[in-house]
Amino acid sequence: MCFKNLPIEFDESGKMTLRDDAVRAFGLSDRPHNPGPKPLSDAQIKTLLAKNGYIRDIDFDPVTRVAGALAFHAVADLKERKVLTSNSMATLFRGYEVIMVGRDPRDAIFITSRACGVCGGVHSVASCLAIEMAFGLVPPPLGVIARNLLLSMEFEYDHPLHLFLLAGPDYSRMIVEQTNPEVWEKAKSYRAPGRPWHGYETVGAIMEDLNPLSGKLYVEALNMTRVAREAYVVLGGKYPHPQTIVPGGVSTTISLQTFNEFYVRLQKFFDYSKKVIAIWDDLTEFFYAANPDYKRVGSRPMHMIDPGIWDDPESYDSTYTNCDTWGERRWAMPGAIVEGKLVTTRLTALNTGIEEFIDRSYYEPWAGTRFPKDPLGNPLSPYHPWNKETKPKPTGQNWKEKYSWACTPRWDRQTTEAGCYARLWNTAAAQKTRPNPFIESTGSSLKMMLPKSVLPEREVEWKVPEVWNAFERNRARAYCVAFNAAVSMNDWLKGLDLLKQGKTEVATPFEVPKKGRQLGVGFWGAGRGWLTHHLELRDGHVANYQIITPSTINASPRDPWDNPGAYEEAVLNTPLLESFKDKKQFKGVDILRAIRSFDPCMPCTTHIYAGDRVISREINTCACGADDEHEH
Amino acid sequence: MRTIIAGVGYANLSDSSVGPIAIEALKKESWPNEVKIDDLSYGPISVVHNLAEARPRYERMIVITAADFGARGPALRWHRWPAVLPNPQEVQARVVEAATGVIDWENLLVVLQQFGVLPEEVYVLAVQPVKTDFGMELSSGVAALLPEVLAIARALAMGELSAEKPVRLNSFLA
Repeated sequence: MCFKNLPIEFDESGKMTLRDDAVRAFGLSDRPHNPGPKPLSDAQIKTLLAKNGYIRDIDFDPVTRVAGALAFHAVADLKERKVLTSNSMATLFRGYEVIMVGRDPRDAIFITSRACGVCGGVHSVASCLAIEMAFGLVPPPLGVIARNLLLSMEFEYDHPLHLFLLAGPDYSRMIVEQTNPEVWEKAKSYRAPGRPWHGYETVGAIMEDLNPLSGKLYVEALNMTRVAREAYVVLGGKYPHPQTIVPGGVSTTISLQTFNEFYVRLQKFFDYSKKVIAIWDDLTEFFYAANPDYKRVGSRPMHMIDPGIWDDPESYDSTYTNCDTWGERRWAMPGAIVEGKLVTTRLTALNTGIEEFIDRSYYEPWAGTRFPKDPLGNPLSPYHPWNKETKPKPTGQNWKEKYSWACTPRWDRQTTEAGCYARLWNTAAAQKTRPNPFIESTGSSLKMMLPKSVLPEREVEWKVPEVWNAFERNRARAYCVAFNAAVSMNDWLKGLDLLKQGKTEVATPFEVPKKGRQLGVGFWGAGRGWLTHHLELRDGHVANYQIITPSTINASPRDPWDNPGAYEEAVLNTPLLESFKDKKQFKGVDILRAIRSFDPCMPCTTHIYAGDRVISREINTCACGADDEHEH
Repeated sequence: MRTIIAGVGYANLSDSSVGPIAIEALKKESWPNEVKIDDLSYGPISVVHNLAEARPRYERMIVITAADFGARGPALRWHRWPAVLPNPQEVQARVVEAATGVIDWENLLVVLQQFGVLPEEVYVLAVQPVKTDFGMELSSGVAALLPEVLAIARALAMGELSAEKPVRLNSFLA
């Protein structure tokens, strides 16, 4: 029994039924249990602002230069060093759901890829999976392997980029020396236990090389992203927006040579992940030792969901009927973690439990009666993606009403988060990993064997953490670099075996059904976690298309019960540990660490209001002041 | 001189997409081997990787893009890019934008320069957009400017026009 809030129960065969009639069952009147913090009311904030000079509005607002998409508003008490209220805003209507309606379903591969400028390939695959389910199409084993390998290389680009180019600078000497000089002083002499793997004597030396632009770790990560892209292109032909991802497999030619060229790049991540893990282990433990309150930065309940990734070519048959079976054969286990415990690994339960609300979003409601049940007869909420319709309705911003273009996805009506770490956690807890030489699930940890390269072989072990916060998100992301490499090694060996057997087919031919109604869902993942594409086809065309991205889950505004989204909740729980003598010095680094730990996939350039002080960027930029400019 | 003419901009945003649209038109023309035509709207970090691999390295770059320079109607400006890096915090902010999906011509140039792959001679050919919401076509005003955009891009690429010899457009449009 995995649901605490949805009135759904399981019979002996595992089939789900409603405990109540549908109208009552999916009503919004009962407040679901949520142990998260409760924000102050607007009236309480106004009272505090009026009488207390230390209360400040802090806006981390997008500079909407071209595609600004995320803004963050918080009210903080700088004297008490705590955040009083927070609001996460998606400021951009993307509208892919609207664009897709009425189109040939094959267009989804190329159009939805544009939903993300960083990781379009994951959307292409998610749309393929949805189409395969709708068409009853099964790719050949090597096609599945190719998709798995490509996905891993997308992540080997994403994770180093985030750890060292985006989040890393927040932990660099350049930032820490300014925001917390007392922490920097400790770091200079703090011995780094991971020295055999990363080569740094002290944490201070690590921080020095985390400096943006010039730090060795920063530059090295930039180079590793290139290696990952090369590996992707060797197999996939092009990135971003690959053209070789197709329903039924891939449209690329795979040979022993391409596999070997891929391996030359893959093996570089064996050593790199040994180093990256040691760096983030040492950074995390150092900050905890320097000040245990860092454990509260970005903290929130241990609730997270993930549909799993990396299919087993022997099990994946694309059907919804068998999705619980092939889902559990994935290298990264589907699952929901609630209060730190794995409550299900069934894709049908994950699918049934997901709903999207728009009470705080710029959309109109919908009837939601098209699909009272999924294809297996399990009950579906009117707020489920297969029932959802996208009806944009822009209105003015009001923190108590509507303030975001993001919807509010909830699983079992709880604020969950998405992230690559959910994959680690689900897989570690489930103990259902297929037999293999590189990955072992223990129930409380995930052991990964990284083969010898220049550095010796190393077994690394990610342990389910005792606390959940910004540091643990980054630490887990570092372990995901190893997870990707270990999975890739399994898939690469399997692919070689298929090539040896002459099983070189990579795609299954298909035709678009011209008549009838078909449903599909692509259960997949982005570098930042959960990704689903829900599809309804009618007479050969898209009747409805709904995308849930990880950043929508994490950046969601409040739900119908006023529970904050994951970013909002993490920031509310963040203590302001930064050293500052007056408000003019305040940079908000702890809040930024909290938000960035989610790896927000939205342009989130910032300007900060702090009373009379504004730090901002030019919105419209051009070199119009250049002396040698010419007009026509 | 090894030259790249690059379009920068999002697709399907009307005049904001003038860079990629111009590149598609230029690709249909014939060019000498040393001139490459490419849409560089795929993320500055990836562009860094590709320009670092280019052999021989590019010496000249012409960027075609939409940019709001305050003109009231459709207008066209070009200038030699001064290649002066902003302060490191600003550069890092541009890297963050680049890595999180922002496609922007100035970000591209800053990131390329920061990582040492910006060609020596860079020109920016900027079009003042009129319509910037969803749309697969240019507005009529910007569409009328497109032949001039293409002609100037060619003249800059071929060395017929430069900051040192700014010839009036009409003298070579014929």
